[in-house]
Amino acid sequence: MTAERTLAALRRANAGVGLACGLVLLTACLFILVEIVMRRVAFGIFGGTDEISGYVMAGVASFAAGYALVERAHIRIDILHRRLPALGRTMLDILSLGGLVAVAIALLYHGGGVLSKSLSAGSTANTPLETPLWIPQLVWLLGWVWFAIAALVLLVLTIRFAMKADWSSAAAIAAPETDESAIEAELAEQEREAPK
Amino acid sequence: MITRLAIALLALLVVSAPVGLTLFLLAFGVDWFFSAFPLSRGMGQVIWSSSNSALLIAIPFFIFLGELLVRSGVAARTYKALDAWLSWLPGGLIHANIATATAFSATSGSSVATAATVATVATPQGTKLGYDPRLFAGAIAAGGTLGIMIPPSINLIVYGFLTQTSIPQLFLAGLIPGVLLALMFMAITALICWLKPSYGGPGTKADWGARIRGLRDLVPVLILFAAIVGSIYAGWATPTEAAAVGVAIAACIAAAVGGLTLSAVHAALLGTVKVTGMIIFIILAASFLNYTLGAAGLGRELQELLDSLNLGKLETMLAIIVLYIILGFFIETLSLMVATIPIVAPIVIAIGYDPVWFGIMLILLIEMALITPPVGLNLFVVQAARRAAGAEGGLGVVMQGAAPYAVTMLIMAFMLLAVPGLALWLPSFG
Repeated sequence: MTAERTLAALRRANAGVGLACGLVLLTACLFILVEIVMRRVAFGIFGGTDEISGYVMAGVASFAAGYALVERAHIRIDILHRRLPALGRTMLDILSLGGLVAVAIALLYHGGGVLSKSLSAGSTANTPLETPLWIPQLVWLLGWVWFAIAALVLLVLTIRFAMKADWSSAAAIAAPETDESAIEAELAEQEREAPK
Repeated sequence: MITRLAIALLALLVVSAPVGLTLFLLAFGVDWFFSAFPLSRGMGQVIWSSSNSALLIAIPFFIFLGELLVRSGVAARTYKALDAWLSWLPGGLIHANIATATAFSATSGSSVATAATVATVATPQGTKLGYDPRLFAGAIAAGGTLGIMIPPSINLIVYGFLTQTSIPQLFLAGLIPGVLLALMFMAITALICWLKPSYGGPGTKADWGARIRGLRDLVPVLILFAAIVGSIYAGWATPTEAAAVGVAIAACIAAAVGGLTLSAVHAALLGTVKVTGMIIFIILAASFLNYTLGAAGLGRELQELLDSLNLGKLETMLAIIVLYIILGFFIETLSLMVATIPIVAPIVIAIGYDPVWFGIMLILLIEMALITPPVGLNLFVVQAARRAAGAEGGLGVVMQGAAPYAVTMLIMAFMLLAVPGLALWLPSFG
């Protein structure tokens, strides 16, 4: 597979991940609203919303971290970065992605430990729902899998672009989004969305 | 350990490592070099229990609420309405700049989106009416910073989460300093324009008809704010529930002005997930760093450091304030806050300051970082929006205009130091 096609596939999958996270959040929001209304009209409390919100946050947290990675949204301080020549900038980008791959591996290893412990002990949440903990933990761990895949693919692609001295392609996937470009994108978006 | 940590922190940030990565690497470093037993074994459990949080989910809700409002064009209407109410003051429209930026960033919690929106709407007006471009732009940049102080504030939620401080208490504590700061911004504007009338444009006096019509656009935003903040304060709702209610109201407001299209919701959702992923990754990294630092005996070492420095309580706080002002020149706000909390908050609490009070002080210092050059996010935002609107002059224009407001913030910091009750009076009823 060519680098471009790999990248396109990654972005497509990531857009799906992002939308899924958004919809899950929206559902959780509706769930909370329903609970508030039911509490007001005293139908009794169906409870457990807090617990489920926590699980939703855990799942969204790991998947969204991967989504933000592909979208280049993780904050980086570019005081030095923007003063370097292209080679130096790409080197810093590769180091950053390498570091993220290392963190992802640690998260998978230790997160996997949490999951396997819950599975072998049959742990359930200490709540009325008695949720088997492996279920939310599995979703959470899959999110870190996505984060790891994204970091690894971006790292490999950046190194490949760098070896071909294709600095602009490398920057397009790995360089920090500059404040200027982020703001311009924001303005352009508002221009488009604003009702006439 | 503390010195080496601080050096490693700055070094990693300078080589543009993502902030979350930096904090994770520091945590591994603490484990490797300073701990007698392997701490990373606890990593999985710490990250799981930090992310499994019904409190943190309030953050994406507040972000989504703000995205909905900004994308539906409510800000432009608010600006017009506030113009009708405030432009009789010396300084005219500049007061509307401050008030709109304040109201908007307060409800949306997004400084960037607010400053971009208000600057886009306001700049053509200011140019046409002959306002001093510096003060006009600086006021927007400064007003946009208030959102992280006035509840609901995402930054306060992050502070509360990392320091185990009550979010409702923090929200209560932020209210008076936030509103007071907005009023001080308006007072300084009026003062400058009274001394130098050429800086302000023609003072216009809207008739009461325009004001009453404006209320139609103001009232929904006020209801939104009151519903979120009021329900938390009254104890009817947790911050998360209040955020969910806020999303529902924001959706109604957006729908009422015809801005609740499928494409707007789609874009708002993706924007929310993106910002959430960025924030949450940093929070998780900071939680893990917090844990390793605690286990490696940071508390004991801090105590020794403080004993050896032999500074008084006030002197230590002044040193911390100076440190934040200097770091604030270079580091972006949320990163500055999260990266320093694991080290600074224990010091402050150990020398006897109230964690709620320090939360507000920290937010104030970080607001200042938003408008102090060379790296001040709001300065960049306002400048980009001005350029897009065809206004003349470079970033220097915004920097100069923001300077009086940065000084006002510094005055506020000293007021907060002298009168802790500004922050702590309201929570004392909570």
